[in-house]
Amino acid sequence: MSDIFTYLNQKEVIDSIVLIGSMALFFVGLFGLLSQKHIIKIFISISIMEISIFLLFVGSTFVKGYTAPILGDGFEKFVGMNDPIPHAMILTAIVIGMAVFALGMSFAIEYYKLTGITDIDKMREMRR
Amino acid sequence: MNLKRDVAVQTYSGLGLSALLAITILNIMLHNMPQSVKRAGEKLLEINSQDGVANAVTTVVVYFRGFDTLGEIAVLFIASLGIGLVLSSHSEHHHKVESSFILKTASKLLFPIIILFGIYVMVYGHLSPGGGFQGGVIVASAFLLLLISHQDFELSHSVISAFETLAGVSYVIIGLMGLWILDNFLGNFIPHDISQMGMLVSGGIIPLIYIIVGIKVGSEMSMIVQNLLKRSDNE
Amino acid sequence: MIGIVILGSFIAIIIVAFASIVEKRLADSIVLSMGVGLGSVVLFFIFQAPDVALTEAVIGAGISSVIFLMALKHLKASR
Repeated sequence: MSDIFTYLNQKEVIDSIVLIGSMALFFVGLFGLLSQKHIIKIFISISIMEISIFLLFVGSTFVKGYTAPILGDGFEKFVGMNDPIPHAMILTAIVIGMAVFALGMSFAIEYYKLTGITDIDKMREMRR
Repeated sequence: MNLKRDVAVQTYSGLGLSALLAITILNIMLHNMPQSVKRAGEKLLEINSQDGVANAVTTVVVYFRGFDTLGEIAVLFIASLGIGLVLSSHSEHHHKVESSFILKTASKLLFPIIILFGIYVMVYGHLSPGGGFQGGVIVASAFLLLLISHQDFELSHSVISAFETLAGVSYVIIGLMGLWILDNFLGNFIPHDISQMGMLVSGGIIPLIYIIVGIKVGSEMSMIVQNLLKRSDNE
Repeated sequence: MIGIVILGSFIAIIIVAFASIVEKRLADSIVLSMGVGLGSVVLFFIFQAPDVALTEAVIGAGISSVIFLMALKHLKASR
């Protein structure tokens, strides 16, 4: 049992877990995007794909044993800390992503008020 | 026939995208990530201590990527504008569903505490985890609680737009003052000493700009939530 | 210890995400997608990113679910 723990604690193994896990989460979202018909299900699938990208960005620069990039008690210099750049990028991307989702949902609500359709296969205004 | 072609296009494009991603990620895994990509922020961490800010993420968001943050706030503003444009085209008449007494009392008690916590997160963004984006969203969630529990509560459009305009204009003005005094946009022109690191007043313009970002994010997210909640239910 | 926690969190997130996609009732699906956000908060905290964890906790569990549920209410109300 302790062999498994020490194997999983290796640096390369943690990197591989992050990569494979976020790839699998991305494919779960892609499956939902291609197979579901309701507009809210489509938005949920896209948000799952978005979360997988966030996890890949933050997780791929994580080094075991390093601390968060914040000076606190007992820390004097910025050494042995994780990379702050992905944190800053993902921080803003989460807030912007939420606002854009709200914009998409408002379009869906208005479209439903006008036509009464939530199934994306029946949205045929742009087709000839 | 049309539907059949659509299904084929979706399947093939999905399979192609999946294969491309799998190949890319397997490639990265087999050859491992190059060390220079993995530690792109090492240099930034080294020069970070010159600004006297204890939280390195805050320095990256507000100072090194300050111009990008201005653009991201513009994106947030455009999304809020679009929601207001799409959803406020109908006249509003509310349906009167009274919330329960417990919900009303609890939300009244919790509202000032959540607002206080949001402002704390905003102001201490350069010392501890937190900052403008998080604090603004926490303030918006406090207004969300009040909007759900009290049916007749409504935020004033003019007050919110005054806050938003003031915050946006002062962001640009501080940036232009940096350009005027130090010859670069968003230059840190307020004196900031390294010995002040860890104090509330430290880091020059960095906490000032994060508070401005917090005000802007909070007012825009509150407006988005109110537009979605107060949409008239019956035509 | 940290490896097994990361592995377990990823497996839990993937299971909850799949359940959220195949679930037939939409309200349950939205609540399960909140579970994905919660699991990612745990992972961000393990990855030593407290700023991102704070943002994702407020957005993923609070505001995003309310926006989805309100949209669902608007879509159901005028049927």
